[in-house]
Amino acid sequence: MSDPQPVSASGKALPPPRTERGALGWLRVNLFGGWRSSLLTLIFSATAGAALFYGLRWVFVQANWRIVAEMGGRIAIGSYNTVDNCALQNCYWRPQVVLLGFILILGMAWGVAGKGMTKRIALGAAIVLSLLAFLPYSWEDMGIGVRLLLGANLPALGLGWLLSRYTPLRTYFRISLFAVAWFVLSMVLLRGISGVPGMQPVSVYAWGGFMVNLILAVGGIALSLPIGILLALGRRSETPLVNMRIPVGKHRTLKWRQRLPIVKFLCVVFIEVFRGVPLLALLFLSQYLLPLAMPEGFFLTSIPLLRTAIVITLFSAAYMAENVRGGLQGLHPGQAEAARALGLSGLSTIRLITLPQALRNVIPAIVGQFISLFKDTTLIYVIGVLEVVQIGRSFIQGNIQTWAGSEIEYFLFIAVLFWIFTYGMSRISRQVEEKLGASSRARN
Amino acid sequence: MAVAGIAKKIPFWRNYQVLRWTTQIVSGVAVVGLVAWLAIRMVSAIEERSIPVGFGFLSRSYGGPIGHHFFPYNPSTTAADTADSFLYSLLVAAGNTVVLSIIGVVLATILGIFIGVSRLSGNWLVSRLSLSYVEFFRNVPLLIQLYFWFTVSLALPPVSSGIRIGDLFINNGGISFPWPSPTGVSPTVSWLVLAFLSLVASYFVYRRRFRLEVRTGQPSYPILSGCLAALVLGAVAWILITAVTDTAPFVVTYPAPQGRFGRISGGTTVPAALIVLLIGLVMYTAAFIAEIVRAGIQSVRKGQREAARSLGLNNMRSLRYVVFPQALRVIVPPLISQFLNLTKNSSLAVAIGYSDLLSVAKTMTQIAPALSIFILVLLIYLVISLAYSLIGNIYNRTTRISNR
Repeated sequence: MSDPQPVSASGKALPPPRTERGALGWLRVNLFGGWRSSLLTLIFSATAGAALFYGLRWVFVQANWRIVAEMGGRIAIGSYNTVDNCALQNCYWRPQVVLLGFILILGMAWGVAGKGMTKRIALGAAIVLSLLAFLPYSWEDMGIGVRLLLGANLPALGLGWLLSRYTPLRTYFRISLFAVAWFVLSMVLLRGISGVPGMQPVSVYAWGGFMVNLILAVGGIALSLPIGILLALGRRSETPLVNMRIPVGKHRTLKWRQRLPIVKFLCVVFIEVFRGVPLLALLFLSQYLLPLAMPEGFFLTSIPLLRTAIVITLFSAAYMAENVRGGLQGLHPGQAEAARALGLSGLSTIRLITLPQALRNVIPAIVGQFISLFKDTTLIYVIGVLEVVQIGRSFIQGNIQTWAGSEIEYFLFIAVLFWIFTYGMSRISRQVEEKLGASSRARN
Repeated sequence: MAVAGIAKKIPFWRNYQVLRWTTQIVSGVAVVGLVAWLAIRMVSAIEERSIPVGFGFLSRSYGGPIGHHFFPYNPSTTAADTADSFLYSLLVAAGNTVVLSIIGVVLATILGIFIGVSRLSGNWLVSRLSLSYVEFFRNVPLLIQLYFWFTVSLALPPVSSGIRIGDLFINNGGISFPWPSPTGVSPTVSWLVLAFLSLVASYFVYRRRFRLEVRTGQPSYPILSGCLAALVLGAVAWILITAVTDTAPFVVTYPAPQGRFGRISGGTTVPAALIVLLIGLVMYTAAFIAEIVRAGIQSVRKGQREAARSLGLNNMRSLRYVVFPQALRVIVPPLISQFLNLTKNSSLAVAIGYSDLLSVAKTMTQIAPALSIFILVLLIYLVISLAYSLIGNIYNRTTRISNR
């Protein structure tokens, strides 16, 4: 028999006391639940309040955000559209079309993922980009073409969503293939083809701004995962995947041992060297080493941007290999044995049974490595590429009289820009995890 | 049971032994071939363009400035006083990196544990504030954070009009304060040797008192006794040395503005770049450590906390004596890799002008073979990483659950 409820004089059941329900109750438990907790609440709300007040006052009243307005499109594309690099200054449409393509892909991802974080991020990104078309610049600084192409982002998102619903492009796999194709196409588009009207070449040395960070990040992420998986598998190739005895002839059996010690040794050396040294040291080394080792004018190594792409990809692949290795180690060996028993060959086992489960387990670690890769793209300035951090610093240094005190405003702006992307990535990964059934919430 | 019907010979392209050796030989040959081709190209390019290589430069004297150094370094090149060699300069810079890494690791761990535990606090404000801290500092690139702190530090007043609080000077060159400086080889070194011996002796005192406490159950204050022993023995050694050699082992020097520009000399100056680097690295790494600590504490079964509560331990005590020691097993491996990350991220000192290994090496490449210097730098970083990994492995081995 349950406890009798408190009863009022008229005999009706009373609700809990006022200090234990609603807002007051929440305050009591969460903020003032004891003298220590109350003291902490007072101290932290005082300091947080003061910090918030002074911070917001600085942001809105004292800071000079004109540096961001003055730099404008240069934050996004660097010196891509300056007179030196694009004589008629009509190259702005190319990065914008590339962006439209990726918003299209984002729309497709939203179509497949359904409601949730992806939808919010996709809509948010498209709306913000479209609103940028209405920035109060003069028609000279920001022409009608730029504005139209910016405003086209929202329709592009919608088109992507429709494409993922009504065309065969409706699985993540096919969308990834489309994304890879679009990436290659956009490299060609940005580089330009001589002779084709409207597509005059813009030297890769001129690419700069946030565009460079994104290109390196996307390319690096796409390449470092497969390379990392191969390295992880190679590292494990000495231990037998399955312990089995095969009868050969009447009285002999062969012990199944899949040992590839040379491959393992090479993989271990690669992983440990690339994980043990800082990325900056590798970038410096590549600047001296790669031009010597490769033929003169070999496009992969003579262009600084591609040199850094190679180095960053290999660096990230070593970390990815360790993450994937952790996932492989957490896998139950019975899975591989059962696959063998079903007659699957080694390669098929890895492709159909081992890898999907191993990768599913380490999605947080892999996405964490993606985020690190994106943040590491800020380091490429040592090779002379003007990505988003350095384009601002060089602009301020170049016009030091006017902009001497504005560095903090600029750094805060790009800090928030990076934060939006990396936080968005980690939230999307959580949704992907749940959709694939990998998170513990889904399993329980 | 022999399987009937294994009469057909397995074709060689499905024979796993053949496949195994073929893949190995092919991949080995391919990699070795690629490396050899690159090496040959490199060697011929080096000869062609007469790029200097070789490690002979290491014994030549360097003479370049190393802005700040924890270990003694002599850059002068007068006739009477030759500068330290390239090799020694590199090692001094490496020492900078190592000391910076140790200080950073200690501070980041303390801050990270504090924030990680606050994440799990019952107070909503505290847990949300630490969540915002972690989410902000993890997601913004370290380079931007360092530039930010560096720009803030430039806002400090210059040396000529710096802040002075008694003997403490704060300006945009750094923070200067009084510091003992060695007086000479024989008093200083002999006292250091005696101090080291007294530390060893005090460890044995601590051990003896600890065992006494375990054996008898009566409090015998092992930590207190150990510290007292160290202090007493150190003081005795100091008095001894002063009496014997007539000079104290260390003399405190005070910073004072000198010369036309009021530059501080005397005492010790912690350069602003070092402080900026430490603040940036510590705040960045502490965000990661906080998440690791939180995950570790959450991995301990809830029953442990409930049992501790039922034994009468409050939150703080149950955390300290029951939960945290068990959480350590989950925390330590990723913690070691964060230590490694901090060490490697310290190479960003080249962006804000602190003289750590990479930045000194970069300056050296102007007058010495760049390739050899960077190979040495890579080797030094590999050695430091190996050292940290070894410590992690030793810890893992000693705390491993035996049935795994």
